[in-house]
Amino acid sequence: MGNISRRDVFKIAGVGAILGSTHLYTASVWAAKRPDRMLPPPKGNRVVIVGGGWAGVTAAKYIKKEMPSAEVVLIEKRKIFMSCPISNVWLGGLVEMDFLMHDFHTPASKYGYTFINATVLDIDRGKRRVYTDQGYIDYDYAIIAPGIGYNYDAWFDGDKDMARYCATHFPSAFIPGSEHVTLKRKVHNFEEGTFVLVVPPPPHRCPPAPYERAAMIAYVFKKNGVKGKLIILDPKEDIKPKGPGFRNAYIELYGGLVEYVPNAKIKEVDPVKKVIKTTAGEFRFDDANLNPPHRAGDLVWKVGLVNPKTGWCDVDPLTLQSKIDPRIFIAGDAASVKGFPKSGDMAHNHTQTMVVKALVALMKGKDPKEAVRSPTNTCYSMVNGDPKEAIVINVIYAIDRKKGVPVKKKVNVENKRSSQLARATFEWARALYRDMFS
Amino acid sequence: MDRRLFLKVCTAVALAPPSLFKGFVRAEESQFKPYKKALLVKEDGTPLRPEEVDPKKQYLFFYPYRSTPCLLADLGKEVKPVQVKTQNGDPYTWPGGVGPKKSIVAFSAICTHQLSYPTPDQSFINYYPSGMVAKMSKRDKVIQCCAHMSAFDPERGGEVISGPAPFPLTAIVLAYEEGKLYALGTLGKEVFEDFFDAFKPDLRKMYGSSRRAKELVDVCEVVDLESYTKEVIRC
Repeated sequence: MGNISRRDVFKIAGVGAILGSTHLYTASVWAAKRPDRMLPPPKGNRVVIVGGGWAGVTAAKYIKKEMPSAEVVLIEKRKIFMSCPISNVWLGGLVEMDFLMHDFHTPASKYGYTFINATVLDIDRGKRRVYTDQGYIDYDYAIIAPGIGYNYDAWFDGDKDMARYCATHFPSAFIPGSEHVTLKRKVHNFEEGTFVLVVPPPPHRCPPAPYERAAMIAYVFKKNGVKGKLIILDPKEDIKPKGPGFRNAYIELYGGLVEYVPNAKIKEVDPVKKVIKTTAGEFRFDDANLNPPHRAGDLVWKVGLVNPKTGWCDVDPLTLQSKIDPRIFIAGDAASVKGFPKSGDMAHNHTQTMVVKALVALMKGKDPKEAVRSPTNTCYSMVNGDPKEAIVINVIYAIDRKKGVPVKKKVNVENKRSSQLARATFEWARALYRDMFS
Repeated sequence: MDRRLFLKVCTAVALAPPSLFKGFVRAEESQFKPYKKALLVKEDGTPLRPEEVDPKKQYLFFYPYRSTPCLLADLGKEVKPVQVKTQNGDPYTWPGGVGPKKSIVAFSAICTHQLSYPTPDQSFINYYPSGMVAKMSKRDKVIQCCAHMSAFDPERGGEVISGPAPFPLTAIVLAYEEGKLYALGTLGKEVFEDFFDAFKPDLRKMYGSSRRAKELVDVCEVVDLESYTKEVIRC
């Protein structure tokens, strides 16, 4: 069981059962949509939010705060919320799973929105109708926040068996749930040999997350006296962001345990033979965290809101309205906005300052672009477990009203790891969980 | 606070035509809200004299409720009244510093972004006195919260300089009378109800009950923040 407590397993069992691996094989599920109307017809102010991650939960709360008369419906397939941010810290054994888990009912009750625990199967954009496995709901406006999906096709060229094998044996754990527990078990049970971590090509969810994960894995290996090494295969030419902070941690804290390989673009992955061929050479592994390229979550592909050339949704860079259907806003990681990382903090921030502001303005008959405020993004990364030490990046954006785009105004980075920043990491998370769930 | 200015702040709000206020929240943000007049004292119970406030330090007291922390600082020079910008564009007049040099200011130490506040264990929201440059906002004489990097300007009534905070820190209106410092009330949007709600378990643990945490005070003990909290988190 490694360092996973019995309590953790019970908690995660519920999450895993719901999540499953539906992102890989969705076609058969689409047919299960039911014809029952779940809510009366909307009266012009109904916003249906699909996806209860960082963006979706934030949207539900702040629409109700800014426009109490709006009818807000949040649809989420999971029965309980598990946070991806801070999950690397949990992987390192520095927090209990309790810290990551939150309920959907408290904020729905407090802020007065409707929470529906259902899986969205399809959206008829012409009828403005969301189909779930329990029935359908009509909307006036929709916010879709599907998060990411894994693009195993980029590695296995449509070979679903191989994709399933890879996902089962070497799960990515960038979508919260069972995969995270599997990865934690692997890391804490690893005794000797080579453990490979593949960094997905950009853009991917949470740019510093693979490097933070590597630091936490190295911390566990060091603590457990592992005879072997962690190889980080990075398609980029260098660690980015917070490169010096991560590099120093790898060298100073985990010297000899971590091998960082830049310019390692994936050419071939064989999860059965445990071999990865890259532009930086061939690597054999005993165990691994294999992260395929990311793309927008499945639902937006199904409903035709993705630019297939990029794998993400094209949106207005100020309001985050879909360029294909302006009645639909894309919040969180699935939206493609130049300069915005795909992170929990960014999702929380741009949803609050841009999506909600624009949508509320639209419903009030005002100019949505004028209502938008500039977001910020703060991202802490834990690089040491004993003592707990972290580094941080903070980006402040400004709105270029003339060009109608957000631009980076200031980037502040602290690459010197410290215990103070580790404590701030926990406060960062506690405060945002409190905002979304208490 | 100068008595004339104090009256000006009150009457300006009271006499403003209703059309200036496009809703309850806007009106609330712009108003001086009086609470109990509270004498600021030292740990020994004697009145805190302005000359005892070290411009290189940050001080903590609890006002208007026994559980709501405030930062007090001497900015080292006269701080003039200013119009404070707010999220919705309706400014209000902040009366500036008090004391013989008109250099002492106070603000609620609850971050208006996500309510981080100084606890006995740690303080993420802090004043960076003259000469101590905050790494993230790259300036001194700033109040900065390290949870999400909101920075506030104590010389401009707690206005947001940068970061995600949607509105200024709630200003604590001070008065200087016959050598003594008093807290009179607040100016700007308050987050006390959110604070009581968000930290209910912590406040119950610390004060015994929510009701006790919400008791209004008429005397405020002012302490050096460094001695109140185990760790001041700066960034």
